[in-house]
Amino acid sequence: MGYVAAVAGEELIQRAADLFDAQRVVEDQEPVTLDQLDGQLSRLTAQAMSEGGVYAPQLGALAVKQAQGDTVEAAFLLRAYRSTLERWDETATVEPDEMFAVRRVSPAFKDIPGGQILGPTKDYTQRLLDFDLADEERFEDPTADWEPDNTDTDPEPLGDVAALLREEGLVAAPEPPDGPPTDTTREPVGDDPDRAAVLQELARGETGAVTALGYSALRGYGDVHPTLAEVRVGRLPVRVEHPYTGDEARVTDAEVTSAEAVVPVQEKRETAQFALGYGLTFGRNERKAIAMTVLDAGIALDTDAEPAEDPEFVLDTIDPMDSFGFIEHLKLPHYVTFQSILDRIRTLRAGDEPPPAGAASGSGSGPDSEVTTDD
Amino acid sequence: MTERPSGANNEAGTDMTGAATVGEVLDGLSDDGLEGYTYAYLDEHTKREVRRAVLKAVAIPGHQVPFASRPMPLARGWGTGGIQTSLSLLGPAETFKVIDQGADDSVNAANIRRLAARTADVETTTDTTAADVIQTRHRIPEEVLGADQVLVLQVPITDPLRTVDPSDAANRRRHAHANYGKIWVRLYESIVEHGEVQIAARYPVMVAGRYLMDPSPIPRWDVPKLDNAENLFLFAAGREARIYAVPPHTDVQPLAFEDRPFRVERFDGACRACGATDTYLTEIETEDGERLFVCNDTSFCEKRQEEPALPKDHHLDRSGVDWGPGTGTSVEMATDTGPATDDPAPDTGGDRT
Repeated sequence: MGYVAAVAGEELIQRAADLFDAQRVVEDQEPVTLDQLDGQLSRLTAQAMSEGGVYAPQLGALAVKQAQGDTVEAAFLLRAYRSTLERWDETATVEPDEMFAVRRVSPAFKDIPGGQILGPTKDYTQRLLDFDLADEERFEDPTADWEPDNTDTDPEPLGDVAALLREEGLVAAPEPPDGPPTDTTREPVGDDPDRAAVLQELARGETGAVTALGYSALRGYGDVHPTLAEVRVGRLPVRVEHPYTGDEARVTDAEVTSAEAVVPVQEKRETAQFALGYGLTFGRNERKAIAMTVLDAGIALDTDAEPAEDPEFVLDTIDPMDSFGFIEHLKLPHYVTFQSILDRIRTLRAGDEPPPAGAASGSGSGPDSEVTTDD
Repeated sequence: MTERPSGANNEAGTDMTGAATVGEVLDGLSDDGLEGYTYAYLDEHTKREVRRAVLKAVAIPGHQVPFASRPMPLARGWGTGGIQTSLSLLGPAETFKVIDQGADDSVNAANIRRLAARTADVETTTDTTAADVIQTRHRIPEEVLGADQVLVLQVPITDPLRTVDPSDAANRRRHAHANYGKIWVRLYESIVEHGEVQIAARYPVMVAGRYLMDPSPIPRWDVPKLDNAENLFLFAAGREARIYAVPPHTDVQPLAFEDRPFRVERFDGACRACGATDTYLTEIETEDGERLFVCNDTSFCEKRQEEPALPKDHHLDRSGVDWGPGTGTSVEMATDTGPATDDPAPDTGGDRT
């Protein structure tokens, strides 16, 4: 019975995997190093870390290398690895103004305490292909000759724009945490997820999906059109409580992008106030952080009038592992269910036949009927 | 056929018995199987959580129990709920079988089996009757399962109500109130429009008269096997983070109307390989345009090729066991409903009464 599915399943898998791995490096090229990936394609490694939900640049680079540049596949590798790690502790809460920002803009105000810091951005460049990069021999740092104005003192911490609005009462003070934070990697997300759960799921959401859903609200499928209080890129300290002394100890820094958006809401409040949408993601990814603010604020409206405002819809669709896995599972064999569908369709097409005694049969109407398996 | 993972060793078993504390057991296990990973891949807290969800699911047949599904080294939608459940149940003494669309050697089944063999040090088999735990996608084996066996079904979509309302929040309220009016209306409309219920696989069932349940995309052929079985059925959805169960000896009925009874698939032919007419067949279009039918359960088909009259309960003490079409009291149903009327099932049951 040579027509039944391949007998040497395990060997075939291995050979297919070998073929895939053979594509990783073309011909006699040098394999890229993890340092090269993290140092030159850090957007890629950061996206993998962000969607993978683990901050580890070298592992991010390894995942990107192994996945041949597929960010979702890389995030998948990181998540699978992450889920085998013990969850030891929670880090201490850090405030936004603790960030050592390399970039910080506030579209809401012309000037703000700490000032606007453009920092590294391509936002105001013309998107022209730079053909000089095509055969770049050696990297020339265009900032090599820059003279820092002041190397003696640390920069002043930047104020938090949302804090200014809070002082005036324009933005509600955040509710203090009620017990330990939710961890959606350890507890299933329920019907009425708290904000911590929503933000965690958004932070691990696929960049493209978060962007698309956030855009849908701006496009008109939603009521949220925020003004950004600020967008920051920089490093946040990671601190843990020392198990014996109880003092907080700074163990490392993490590069993050954060965005805060204010959204005017009139309804459901006694006095007019802004709602605050928040977004934070590992690495430099302003697009995702900003889109997160739209979805966070939209979900906080507590209506499900539009997809981007319905927490169930948003959280059900943005996870890259869920969407990628289920979309690609359609490649798996489906001949059992397809046979069942064929049976139904043929019964319908043979609609003239009278039903056999004692059984319901197709007296059905036509071949265009919908037969479902939904698998 | 059994495969022994080359990287695994048996010292784990002896370490376990000699260990004084759980910690020592874990230390002893951590070096076995897949290097750098814990026994059976999942950490012990996760396995305990999954087992708790399983126990709750058994206690409330047909009810969907949430669990914090972990990211697995398999893609979601590719059996991650099933493998988490299997790995939480398996111990080194167990024998494990994995089938995908009825076949042991389907590539995804082979991948899942290899993960269990590498990390959980289990023996694997393709023989349904030799397995303690069977993980399956879209099929219930043709051979009758016994009281000491567990069938773990991979579930893509957990809720039959999803077809009438995409919101799980709303559907959970419907389950709480046993408010299944919408799906009955859907079935009714389907009959009015088409003459019969337009559901092919993944046919909704009522469990123990209380919970509407999605039996996973098994063909209708397999649905009767769920009713009053000897074995435990576990349904696990990794992407949707739900586990549910049909315990042994539970009443499971497909939704149907008195004058429009539930019907299984019919086949215009017998298995080309073993000649069976009492098994679920899938068709193959050959290059010269011929349509052939072949058994979907490859393991049983191989046995039938050796012994064509082998009954589905050949390995049990009793005979005439009711296990879906072509067995027990269902023999009538199979011949009544199929084109089997002009090609009746041979009496493969041997001493079946």
